[in-house]
Amino acid sequence: MNPIALTWVLVGKDLKIEYRSRQAYLTTVFFALLILVIFNFAFDPGSPATREAAPGILWVALLFPGIIRLNRSFQVEMEEGTLYGLILSPADRGVLFLGKFLANWLFLMVVDLLVLLAFVIVYNFSFSIQLLWIALLIVLSALGFSAVGTLLGAMVSTIRTREVLLPVLLFPIILPIILPAVSGTQEILLAQEIQSLGRSVELLLAFDVIYLAAGFVLFDYVVAD
Amino acid sequence: MPEPSVPLLRLSKVTKRFGVIRAVWNVDLEVSQGDSLAIFGPNGAGKTTLLRIIASLTQPTSGEIEFAFKGDNQSRNRVGYVSHLSLLYNELTGFENLLFYARLYGIQEAHDRADEMLAKMGLEEARNQRTGEYSRGMKQRLTLARALLHEPQLLLLDEPYTGLDQHGSRLFTEVLRGLKQEGRTILLVTHNLGEGLELCDRVMIQNRGELVFQALGEHLDKSGFEKLYFQAVEGERTE
Repeated sequence: MNPIALTWVLVGKDLKIEYRSRQAYLTTVFFALLILVIFNFAFDPGSPATREAAPGILWVALLFPGIIRLNRSFQVEMEEGTLYGLILSPADRGVLFLGKFLANWLFLMVVDLLVLLAFVIVYNFSFSIQLLWIALLIVLSALGFSAVGTLLGAMVSTIRTREVLLPVLLFPIILPIILPAVSGTQEILLAQEIQSLGRSVELLLAFDVIYLAAGFVLFDYVVAD
Repeated sequence: MPEPSVPLLRLSKVTKRFGVIRAVWNVDLEVSQGDSLAIFGPNGAGKTTLLRIIASLTQPTSGEIEFAFKGDNQSRNRVGYVSHLSLLYNELTGFENLLFYARLYGIQEAHDRADEMLAKMGLEEARNQRTGEYSRGMKQRLTLARALLHEPQLLLLDEPYTGLDQHGSRLFTEVLRGLKQEGRTILLVTHNLGEGLELCDRVMIQNRGELVFQALGEHLDKSGFEKLYFQAVEGERTE
């Protein structure tokens, strides 16, 4: 089977499992909504302080729940030892990485866009063309987040404290994608201009490529032994 | 196919350490095409680690492993592995699990092959049932079907009788006996002396990582071997 078809077999398997169990989907969405609502209570609605903090709140609501998905992604593979089933197969390890990464990315896309929608409603922002730019930032940052998360998720999958260890390892590494994503969102929401947004997008694209390439190459070493 | 005189698998001085613990120690082993070999030993003897080394799930600290077939992908295509874990997705049906693995192994006509294996293991009726709802015995048969999908030359079985009741064990042994008659090479790791002796032509005892005893199974009866087993294991412990 060619690598592209095999990648989609792996993606299809992961999405089917998630659709049937709905475990990560429900908990991730619920956790994200909870973050949005709690921050909404903490700040005075409609105040300038709330609007200023809003980009940060959005990214907290996007990133922290994403950890649930990444943990769940490899938890499924450890329950019955299916990770060994994948490793034992003659499939290229890079393709195994791509399959897991794509499934995580697609999953995060669905959840993140729902969170963006909820954010606009809860924080009383208007539905405008600007939201498409935020969506672009979300799509790009989720790429890097999924790539590093998939690699690290595999690395800690056999460790008992993986739920704690994954965010501790992940967040420092993905700072280069969090920072441009937050500053880009700030620009869109507060300054209502997108003149220097191009710089954020460029940074995100560059780190996405680096993280994806690193994941593709290093996955073999991570799952070996 | 390798020539009959060439061993399918050869281990030379294979050792695996986890820190100061030696899980496998200086193991020399040759397995030829069509052999059926049982490795017995107490908990912590290093049987599972030895099997994982052969399956290339873990690397030895030192020593060499040679397969008659060359290359990483070749060996992964020729080895089937059954562990005490099912390696199946509970949320997928029996058919979906086999179809997924068939595609992973690049099997042509994956649908037909998955159905064929379900029929061979007597699981046609549970075809569309999620494996999370399977009984332990059904799951173990599906596990074996998964391991045999790509028609491996060497079948590695790690405690396949764990959790099976008498009836399940009997059914499983019958399936394995059929595979032996087909000429497949079987390497079985088990606590179950009776099943192992009944099924395999060669037996070995592993203790504290070392292979301390080996004989041809046909020369041994269960009670005699039981005595030998305890001597080999307890003798080492009291030394």
